[in-house]
Amino acid sequence: MSINRSLLSVPLRFSILMMLIFQLSGTQVYAVNPDVPNSEEAIAAGKTVFNANCRTCHRLDSKNVGPALRGVTDRHSIEWNKKFIRNSQALIASGDAEAVAIAAQFNNLVMPAHEFLSDTDLLNLLSYIEYGDKVDPAAAAAAVDGASAGTSAGSGIPSEYLTIILGVLVVVLLLILIVLGLIISILTKYLGNQKLDAVDEEFINQKFDFKKLLKSDGFVIIITTIVIAFTVKTALDEILTIGVQQGYGPKQPIAFSHQLHAGQYEVECQYCHTGVEIGKSANIPSANICMNCHTHIQNVGGKEGISPEIAKIYAAVDNNQPIEWVRIHNLPDLSYFNHAQHVAVGGIECQTCHGPIQEMEVVYQHSSLTMGWCIDCHRQTDINSKGNEYYDKLVQLHSNSKEALKVKDIGGLECAKCHY
Amino acid sequence: MKITHSIYTFAFLGAAFGLSSCGASGEDPGYEFAPQMYNSIAYEPLSQIVNEDEGAWLSSREDGKGEFFNSNINNPNRMNMREPVANTVPRSKDGSLPYRLKQFELEAAAVNVNPVALTPQVLAEGKVLYTQYCSTCHGQGGEGDGKAGEVIGGVANLKGGAYINLPEGHIFHVVMKGKGRMGAHGSQIPQERIWKIVHYVKQEIQKQ
Repeated sequence: MSINRSLLSVPLRFSILMMLIFQLSGTQVYAVNPDVPNSEEAIAAGKTVFNANCRTCHRLDSKNVGPALRGVTDRHSIEWNKKFIRNSQALIASGDAEAVAIAAQFNNLVMPAHEFLSDTDLLNLLSYIEYGDKVDPAAAAAAVDGASAGTSAGSGIPSEYLTIILGVLVVVLLLILIVLGLIISILTKYLGNQKLDAVDEEFINQKFDFKKLLKSDGFVIIITTIVIAFTVKTALDEILTIGVQQGYGPKQPIAFSHQLHAGQYEVECQYCHTGVEIGKSANIPSANICMNCHTHIQNVGGKEGISPEIAKIYAAVDNNQPIEWVRIHNLPDLSYFNHAQHVAVGGIECQTCHGPIQEMEVVYQHSSLTMGWCIDCHRQTDINSKGNEYYDKLVQLHSNSKEALKVKDIGGLECAKCHY
Repeated sequence: MKITHSIYTFAFLGAAFGLSSCGASGEDPGYEFAPQMYNSIAYEPLSQIVNEDEGAWLSSREDGKGEFFNSNINNPNRMNMREPVANTVPRSKDGSLPYRLKQFELEAAAVNVNPVALTPQVLAEGKVLYTQYCSTCHGQGGEGDGKAGEVIGGVANLKGGAYINLPEGHIFHVVMKGKGRMGAHGSQIPQERIWKIVHYVKQEIQKQ
């Protein structure tokens, strides 16, 4: 009796255990169609097909632009899968109920046709989808924990050491001061009890006369000189900063971060500032350029919902209202500057004048934009004449000179180049 | 004697401290020597002043507004920029006409041929333009692995079988008008430059 019971209970308990493991690990239980090959070669070949054609829209275990794919042979027949992958639009148009339902679920987003995939390609692909790259959630979580623990350590130690060393030094110096004070008072007391001559007596009992020092000629002259020198220097420095807006970084109507866009996501400057190579101004992008990406990206850091800053773009587009960005680089109207000449012809990097834009959370004016600053660069910069016929004769004329052809040699210092 | 002495001192210090707030920092653009020469009287599209009282203290205008106010009160939203009049045709260097096909007319667009002659220089320019306008999403190699593309999702792998044999006119049309999750880039890139990108995509990225 007891033997019978135990024999029965072993497979029962095992299956319960398996169920538990499945549920704990979060893996969906489904029956893979047995016709899908489960060989390593098929999975590897399928992975190649997947990476070349499917990866940007589909994930195996999570919804992306399209649905999560694992279990697709359980949900639909293999033949149906082949038809859908080859030409989903034709299948939907033919009125296939399963295909129409999926299309409706994903807002009728069009999946491109893949008529070029052979039967073998498709079977390999399905075997990769069902059996390839299975993620063990526990291991993944551990890896994430490990990574975050790894990053938290590392920096910060040197500055802490420095603070400790400084603190110890201050304490030691204070102790020395106290000890010295004690020694002085003890010595004064001791000498007070001794018999001394008049000079020594005076030296010991002398008082520090503050008033006399304040009124002394030397002191007054030194202090007056310092004050005048300081004031004149401050005044001169400040006069020279009038009209120079270096460091000006106002708050913008939308908290747009160049650090995020140009730095983290490596969007090229020219993608938004479209005028920089073809016109005088680099241009502030209109909202439709924002919408190329932000139709799909509605929040930062993968958060749900719409970020309040991105919502401002949507409001501007919906109401056809301009976004009133605050201009930072206010070159005076009395001087002319052309971006195309510097960027397209001269080949100057944006960062040469605008500084580390890709690190700026809020953009500020990096360079002084004074005339001296312009002229200085024109004196030092070589002409970029490579592949530019316009400069051929100038280069020829200049070939006898010892120095390289600079901007100053072709009129870079002429007043009327910029002031007219 | 003593009073005049201290007056001089205070005046001197006052001038120094008064000047110390002239420079720019953070929110404050600072002061200018001759603001009449700094601000444009003409309508400027990118530096228009919307405050009607800006420069009222030295204004010589007949309409009573501030000297530096230069927004066009007759335009929508008082913008200095205006959209071109409907149905006007911009003149171009090469005499090309505006692209009139609508977004859904992809099949009609596919027969268009690239008007830009293929030269090594065009290919080099195409590469630069591709990096500037496409690589953020499609990746430097065209495999749909650009950094912004990973976030947007659904970016085409230009080397994938569904795309590798597409005609040049099709690629041009998609860049110009957008398709699927990709936005229209016609307002950002002049036509001639798009055709250069098309050359680069066909010759280098989709080289077979």
